[in-house]
Amino acid sequence: MEVVVSRSLQQMQPGYPSKCMELRWVSTRKSGIDKAKRVLLKKPLTPPALFPIYISTNPSHINLEELRDLYSASNHSCHRFPNYVGSGGIVEPVNIHKLRIALSHSSVVVSVFCKPSDVLFSTKPSSSEPSEDPIKLLCLGQLFQKVMPVTPFNGQLVGFGRAVSDFGLTASIYDIMVTPSLQGMGIGRMICKRIVRMLASRDIYDIAALCSENERLFFKACGFGDDILGATTMMYSRKASTYHEGDQIIRAGRKLLIPPPLPEPPAF
Amino acid sequence: MLTRNILAPSSPWPVVSFDFRCQVSDKLLTRRYLNYGHDRGLKKHNSLRLRAGFWDSIKSGFLKNNTLQVIETPSEPQEDEEVLPQEFVLIEKTEPDGAVEQILFSSGGDVDVYDLEALCDKVGWPRRPLSKLAAALKNSYMVATLHSIRKSPGSEGNDQKKLIGMARATSDHAFNATIWDVLVDPSYQGQGLGKALVEKLIRALLQRDIGNITLFADSQVVEFYRNLGFEPDPEGIKGMFWYPKY
Repeated sequence: MEVVVSRSLQQMQPGYPSKCMELRWVSTRKSGIDKAKRVLLKKPLTPPALFPIYISTNPSHINLEELRDLYSASNHSCHRFPNYVGSGGIVEPVNIHKLRIALSHSSVVVSVFCKPSDVLFSTKPSSSEPSEDPIKLLCLGQLFQKVMPVTPFNGQLVGFGRAVSDFGLTASIYDIMVTPSLQGMGIGRMICKRIVRMLASRDIYDIAALCSENERLFFKACGFGDDILGATTMMYSRKASTYHEGDQIIRAGRKLLIPPPLPEPPAF
Repeated sequence: MLTRNILAPSSPWPVVSFDFRCQVSDKLLTRRYLNYGHDRGLKKHNSLRLRAGFWDSIKSGFLKNNTLQVIETPSEPQEDEEVLPQEFVLIEKTEPDGAVEQILFSSGGDVDVYDLEALCDKVGWPRRPLSKLAAALKNSYMVATLHSIRKSPGSEGNDQKKLIGMARATSDHAFNATIWDVLVDPSYQGQGLGKALVEKLIRALLQRDIGNITLFADSQVVEFYRNLGFEPDPEGIKGMFWYPKY
């Protein structure tokens, strides 16, 4: 999981001194266990591929449909308790209108782009690929494609993360995700570090992240830990089991939430 | 092409031709953007719409007699109006000396930071920089406050207004919300005021279909929130905080 910074293009926008778009390189060098697995499956050991990714903090680089597809590809839902479609544990696609609203009100939005050919390359397991041998001459078209810089406009969205803040005291990180074929390469960590860096530059150090069991290790590796003051995380979940006639029900994923009952009018 | 007729289009013919040309140019422009480096087709539609708006505004600048309304693409077309601030009297009681005390609930969010700092001192919270407090209040999704207004008899217009409770929530307006900083003056605790504050926040959030309502409770108030319908660590979800490593 090596991330080597080779070049960074700083494009300062007036009013947002910390907004910049950077070109970075990630490597597919995997851990030793994976190597052994590959040998077992009689696949040739490919040399670690180094390819460029583009990390941006500009929300206008994001195409909403691509983002929704990324949510679906990562099987990530905006609801904490999502509705599962079918029996495969696949979450329902995220509502694009709500996603647009959420993005427009998120204080920090980080997106990572990659060349589509690189995304495909990382998913091809077969050994019949001619491009495996790096010494072999690539045809001019492929060479040209390799040399062209990746930008948000010709790249595919492969990673995303956002944070909501009050720009004073606190912030919460939500929805960090990387497309499954490129996971484990440090992209998620890069997104998290970028979000934290942007918040710290605005003097916000109280950064919270809600995570489920399997995301906990990831956040731990990014420098998050349990609250030092011992605070308990609680979520509103007054369920429909105590449903009375006339109660309003709000659907949040697979949870049906009931708002608290209206108080009696004040007695005069 | 566009510079040719900036004359007042009194006769219909130049206007018509100008319009026609503009339409053609619009089509050419949109086609150019479609062919820009890739063939995403419909996926580029959103950004195309924004660009069309830009060219519309240029076009309307040239047309003197323009009926073309340049409608700015609304940033949030699907959103209803923002939370309308409410204010109402929660409790009113008359004291033995004839003074009337009202507890006024307000969600307008106009809180004096000095009052808030004094209230935080009363409940025993550590002090935080005032500028940060002010910024946090301004950028919160909703700030609910309770003021106590004391009207003494005889002295009309001499009301004493005191901040006695506050709760605020931050949100992305669509999916998630977090409730921070719920506090009630110790001398007014135990009357259900804190409960009213939090319930009001929850109701406002649920009304906007914001389903993930979270908060981080100190150990002594976990029961308080449990009674309000909150569940600790639901399904293994925990909150983690960032600690800078030096």
